[in-house]
Amino acid sequence: MSETDPVAAFRVEAGEVLEQVEQGLLDLGHRLDDHDLIDAVFRGLHTLKGSGAMFGFDALASFTHHCETAFDRVRKNLTPATPQLIAVILSAQDHMRALIDGDGTERKAEGDAILAKLQAALDGAPAPTPAPAPAEQGWRLSLRLPPEAMQNGINPLTLLDELRTLGDCRVVARTEQVPLLGDLVPTHCMIGWDVELRGAVAKADIEDVFIFVMDDMDLQIEQIGPALCDDARNAAAAPAPFASPSPSASPSATTPASLPAPIDDSRPANAQEPAAAPNGRGAPKTGESVRVPAERLDLLMDRVGELVIVQSRLSQLAHSSAADVALHSISEEIERLASELRDTVMVLRMVPVATLFGRFRRLVHDIARDTGKTIELSTDGETTEVDKTVIERLADPLIHLIRNACDHGVEHPEQRLAAGKPVAGHVRLSARQEGGEVVITIRDDGHGIDRDRVRAKAESHGLIQPAQVVSDQELLQMIFHPGFSTAPQITSLSGRGVGMDVVKRTIESLRGTIDVESVLGQGSTVSLRIPLTLAIIDGLLIRVGDGRYVIPLGVVEECIELSLEEDLRSRGRSFITLRDRLVPFVRLREMFVTGTKPSVHQKIVIIATGTERVGLVVDQIIGSHQTVIKPMSPVHCNVPTFAGATILGDGGVALILDVVQLVALGQHQEERLRAVA
Amino acid sequence: MTMEETSQTEWDEDGWLEVLTFDLQTEKFAVEAVLVREILDLLPETVVPGADRLVASVANFRGKIIPIADLRLAFGLPFADSTMDSRIVVVELDVDGVQTQIGIRTDKVHEVTTLHRDASEPPPTVGLRWRRDYIRELVRTPQGVIVLANLARIFDPLLGGRGTTPVLAPALL
Amino acid sequence: MTASILIVDDSNSVRMAIRMALTGAGYAVTEAADGAQGLSKANGSRFDMIITDLNMPNMDGLSMIRALRKNPAQCGTPILFLTTESEDAMKQQAKAAGATGWLVKPFVPEQLTKVVRKVLGR
Repeated sequence: MSETDPVAAFRVEAGEVLEQVEQGLLDLGHRLDDHDLIDAVFRGLHTLKGSGAMFGFDALASFTHHCETAFDRVRKNLTPATPQLIAVILSAQDHMRALIDGDGTERKAEGDAILAKLQAALDGAPAPTPAPAPAEQGWRLSLRLPPEAMQNGINPLTLLDELRTLGDCRVVARTEQVPLLGDLVPTHCMIGWDVELRGAVAKADIEDVFIFVMDDMDLQIEQIGPALCDDARNAAAAPAPFASPSPSASPSATTPASLPAPIDDSRPANAQEPAAAPNGRGAPKTGESVRVPAERLDLLMDRVGELVIVQSRLSQLAHSSAADVALHSISEEIERLASELRDTVMVLRMVPVATLFGRFRRLVHDIARDTGKTIELSTDGETTEVDKTVIERLADPLIHLIRNACDHGVEHPEQRLAAGKPVAGHVRLSARQEGGEVVITIRDDGHGIDRDRVRAKAESHGLIQPAQVVSDQELLQMIFHPGFSTAPQITSLSGRGVGMDVVKRTIESLRGTIDVESVLGQGSTVSLRIPLTLAIIDGLLIRVGDGRYVIPLGVVEECIELSLEEDLRSRGRSFITLRDRLVPFVRLREMFVTGTKPSVHQKIVIIATGTERVGLVVDQIIGSHQTVIKPMSPVHCNVPTFAGATILGDGGVALILDVVQLVALGQHQEERLRAVA
Repeated sequence: MTMEETSQTEWDEDGWLEVLTFDLQTEKFAVEAVLVREILDLLPETVVPGADRLVASVANFRGKIIPIADLRLAFGLPFADSTMDSRIVVVELDVDGVQTQIGIRTDKVHEVTTLHRDASEPPPTVGLRWRRDYIRELVRTPQGVIVLANLARIFDPLLGGRGTTPVLAPALL
Repeated sequence: MTASILIVDDSNSVRMAIRMALTGAGYAVTEAADGAQGLSKANGSRFDMIITDLNMPNMDGLSMIRALRKNPAQCGTPILFLTTESEDAMKQQAKAAGATGWLVKPFVPEQLTKVVRKVLGR
């Protein structure tokens, strides 16, 4: 129990509630009638008010109280949710956040300004169109659908839910026509329903529910008058044909006197939303979970790492000829346990990218509002998991890339229409795991990157000569140069040219790569590839010269022999043909300048990242090795070939190869040779 | 400047500074005692291909991978094999707020002693056969001149910067 | 999970208008330009709803609906068709062919989303 400061705990929880409310509001913006969302937002505001008061955040409590009241009116259908109202409450979020995180100053002026806007939004809300003042107090329905109804796409449950939105319903199923199992056709609807619907509802509204099946179904509608209502309430059992023994008093039935004022009670004709909520949508995930401070996880990881190292020494000992058989089997047992423990702890560190993606919706919403463009953000792959140390460092680069896509990518509505595109610009954020990496892409359907402008800018910066020939990829990569921005105006959002190079550097500091693809007029896609920085990986231990090195097993495709003759034959060529494909290879002995003679039995380890392959020539493959990755000292940050180091069972050190760099090297080699050929 | 010099690496108010003295070849050197973590016998070293020659290898120091630096290269001193007296002095320097350990190979370690500011003078601008910025002070003692090395300056180019000035003395490159 | 809807209509602008309305409401949309395309796309994937015009080349709406309903995998998939006010007889035919409901042209986006929501339940 480390959290002894209740105020700090409140701040953390309030922050989470606030985020949920914000997501709920953003969703509500798309579905103004979703009652579950409205309820969720209301509950969130209510919680904030209550706990705020409890922890002494009085300014927050009283401010939130007003928002809660406003939302209560929406919840009770006294006011419809309008985009204007939602926008005001969204702006109220920032104020609330400031009150939560803040220094205690009341910020009364800002708060009052927002509340004034809130009142305006409420007052200005279009009055719900009054249906003809319904005098009826309730209806009794008896309905039966044709047997083929479900096959043809009618869902009786949906219809019943729609009825429930009109008023309180008591529903009883009539099963007397359901045949015995042997005769039952599962896709036939053989159940009928009797429904008692309480409320000031117009008959036309009921019939509307059944509009598509009206011609084919049996439907009887009987009015229940006020007198009948009372009788029904007092009777012990409902009269036949309704066979349900129902409790007499229906607490939700209202008497005429307590009906809210007519104008509030009627429902606007176009605002019906079936109450059935899709499972889980908007509802926070429940389930057991425990909060763990990040440092404890790191400690745990270190312990597991040390265990793995010691276990490998035990394993070495057990394999030596001096050990007895019993030790051998114990050592294997411990190896298995250590491996499982390592996998379990690994998973603890992984966090779904959804936590990042959630923030971006608000960002895009605000940018769209500020620029007057219509921009939709869609996401995919939110459940993709990334190591927690990586996720925080991705936030800023992603924000910048999304800003770029919205600001420079997506055009203004007039331009889009003129180009034959839909008015709404689309930005798609997706994540997936591929091999040992996480791939995150940001795609927009804007106007793409203007190569000529990039070229002109690059020349003016002296990055290329006027007549110099550069490949399209090289040209696009120039946008990552410091100070580079081809935006004609510098907007307040981006365009100061400080962004893209920082993005690239951040991604590279995570040992990842960033690529850009773009089609003029159609849009651009930025792809980030980040290695899953697992602290412990399965590795392949190899020997080159006198040194030992580790290759992450996840990228190893296969290992093949390289005989001495083949080695000599391929001097100056450095390609092998592998199943009809040319694979470049790198002689690590030469790259590392070992000064040793090649082993007679050299091997080529073929590694692959994405679609690129390269072969690494090594002197010996020692075997697989559970590798605890230790970071290289900052003093060696200039050495690109290595991604870390590890301690071997005998206490020696093996360097871990950086496969991305090696593959890139192989590609350069390939290109150079191609150019020469 | 990426590395900070704490106040303890400065002369105190009476003009004293605690240092560890050691030999590199025939010359006497010193580093601020506050930076020294440990003195070890030589460790097995693993070469890091592609690293700057000043820190050409690493070693396993209690489960941590630390670079082993050869200051002889920084000062252009001739290379010689290790002897029984060779030791590794592990120092800890502050890099951008992160404590970084580096092992310095020495030919012989002497002692922890204090030097006085009055006996010291900054390295001369001419006539010095070593890189001037690698030296904080030259200190006269009864045993001879001690070179107080500027570790921060020696290791700085290796950290964070790419394509910065090379560390090694031109004569030996 | 986002509901996925297939739109079948030979008019590019109608498809576009429907797409805009539906994606704005949070649905995922796929398009087909005639009955044959619609049939092959529907049978190739699972859609939560199909919206189709009736007058199309290469297989009209009625034939497509009939063919769809023959596939047991399409059992229970709601199918809405687009009709003009005057085509009352068509409604009967379409229902007989297996359609679930209809939408009268021309319609405003809110009408469309209202009906979609009603039939889908989400």
